[in-house]
Amino acid sequence: MSGSSLDISKLQAGGGRITLSSHGGKAWISEFSATYPLKLLSPRLSENDVAIIYVLTYGGGLVGGDCVHLVVNIESDVKLLLLSQGSTKVFKDRPQQRLASVQRIIDHRSSNTQTAATVQNMDFTISSQGALFLLPDPVTCFRSASYHQIQTFHVSKDATLVVLDWFTSGRKSLGEDWVLSRYYSVNEILIAGKRIAKDIMLLDNKEIDPNSHLNSSLAEKLSPYSCYATVILRGPLVQKTIAQITARYEAISIMKRRTPEDLLWSLSSVGSDKTNGVVVIRVAGKETEIVKEWLKNALSPLEEHVGIDVYRKAFV
Amino acid sequence: MDDETFLLLLLSDSNLPTGSFVASSGFESYTKHGFGGDDASNRTLTFMRNSISAYARSALAFVSDTHRIVQNLRLMHDQGALRNQPIDGYLDKIKELDELYDAMTLNDVTRRASKSQGVALLTLYSKGFTPSHLPITVNQPEANIETNASMALLVAKYKSLVRAEIVPGHLPICWGILTGALGLTLERSQYLHIFLHARSLLSASIRLNEIGPYNAQQILLHVSRSIIEAEVGRCKDLRTGLDLNVEGSGSVSGSGMEEDHFDGVVDGPANTWPLGEILAARHDLQHSRIFNS
Repeated sequence: MSGSSLDISKLQAGGGRITLSSHGGKAWISEFSATYPLKLLSPRLSENDVAIIYVLTYGGGLVGGDCVHLVVNIESDVKLLLLSQGSTKVFKDRPQQRLASVQRIIDHRSSNTQTAATVQNMDFTISSQGALFLLPDPVTCFRSASYHQIQTFHVSKDATLVVLDWFTSGRKSLGEDWVLSRYYSVNEILIAGKRIAKDIMLLDNKEIDPNSHLNSSLAEKLSPYSCYATVILRGPLVQKTIAQITARYEAISIMKRRTPEDLLWSLSSVGSDKTNGVVVIRVAGKETEIVKEWLKNALSPLEEHVGIDVYRKAFV
Repeated sequence: MDDETFLLLLLSDSNLPTGSFVASSGFESYTKHGFGGDDASNRTLTFMRNSISAYARSALAFVSDTHRIVQNLRLMHDQGALRNQPIDGYLDKIKELDELYDAMTLNDVTRRASKSQGVALLTLYSKGFTPSHLPITVNQPEANIETNASMALLVAKYKSLVRAEIVPGHLPICWGILTGALGLTLERSQYLHIFLHARSLLSASIRLNEIGPYNAQQILLHVSRSIIEAEVGRCKDLRTGLDLNVEGSGSVSGSGMEEDHFDGVVDGPANTWPLGEILAARHDLQHSRIFNS
């Protein structure tokens, strides 16, 4: 099944809508539409209550001024695995003029912003007993690229949420290492209407005055790592995953080292209890591959809920 | 000596029981994990630079907005409001800021340290800065009596909310309350907050045997100053994005949420040092440790 556009006339450029419903115990995509440069794909699956959807952009990347806004509604008793196909590449400028006209975001206040940012907004609603597994590939901002991603999750008390948000330092083959202009990412989680977590990450190379020794460049601040990931987990279907990772974390005992490890991770449990709390895992690695392997392994208990074949489609 | 200079002297006393002497803000974990290179003095400098910049960007908007709310209450009195000016609206606004800071602080070690230092500041105000326990009567100017009583009530009520675990009582919020209640200007409050962060990092470095006390003074005098000034300059106009106007009190200028548009990317708080965040969170995993954070 692929993009039958129901309400396409109502959508702005880069807009998209997904509604996942339960129909006779099966996951059924009841709304599925997207406009350029956003593209959605859904392969047929054998799993009953799980749907898998790929979020793609034409040409495999986004350029300055592109604006994507996806609204996803997961109804009761169904699970959605949302993936991307390959890393989201963010370019500074449009490589060549595209055919369709795309809504441009002009930053009116931007005395300090030279090029328009690429904006990706995603709003998710997860109803009772529903689940979202958001496991995209990392975002890679190329030299001087500016990327804003704002994700909001409205989660029911007994719904499950897994959010992976990660980024790399650039194209290593071209010698890029934290030379992006700006990376801004917000993940806001509301459980039964109450804001439980609002993670705001900002990497900004513009703030650095090259003639000053007062502050570090991004590369200095973030080295020796070139890939950072944040994972947020909550809900009934991830209790086993959380228990397993927590046990591994608590077994770590740090002795004095002379040089940093190849991969570092942390785990924090925030919020008062199982219904109102979230678990936040952060990972940093010298290579994207080792971070990917770590994630794939740490989150593997999720196989049980999405099926082994479906889980294999993430972290490829 | 003017009031404000005297307050600055008072608040920069390193003997104040603010809890900062048990916090290294992740520095102990940073050195334990092998970061910052081989030279100890350089390690301290690099960490200080990154830590000040990250802390200012995540916390200063909360100091500022809390200070503005307390300042608004103060202004109500200066404009001749009644003695029993209701303060519940102000407490609710501060609570909102506190909860937002809590939702943005997704690391249990940092949360714990921030909360214990926060409540220590409120205790400091009620036990140390109100004259109620002195054996003599303190002569206050007539005009200040009502304002001071109202400030003391605000702090006492907020402290009881913290004790009852109704609000988290985070450090930047409580600093805004304390300095607002004492009547320190916003500009001084912001600067002093970041200065104290820098100084407590240097004390942590001394305790960890990374640098000596004379070296720490040199750094504070010749290096920290320009870093603090640069970071406060960069973050002094940041806001939380929450509407600060208390219902029924009228709009007060300087509350930060006038007609202009709030753009979180440029104007809002953020976490700018993901590596520091991971290292701070891993503090508790150290086989042996001196500090609580």
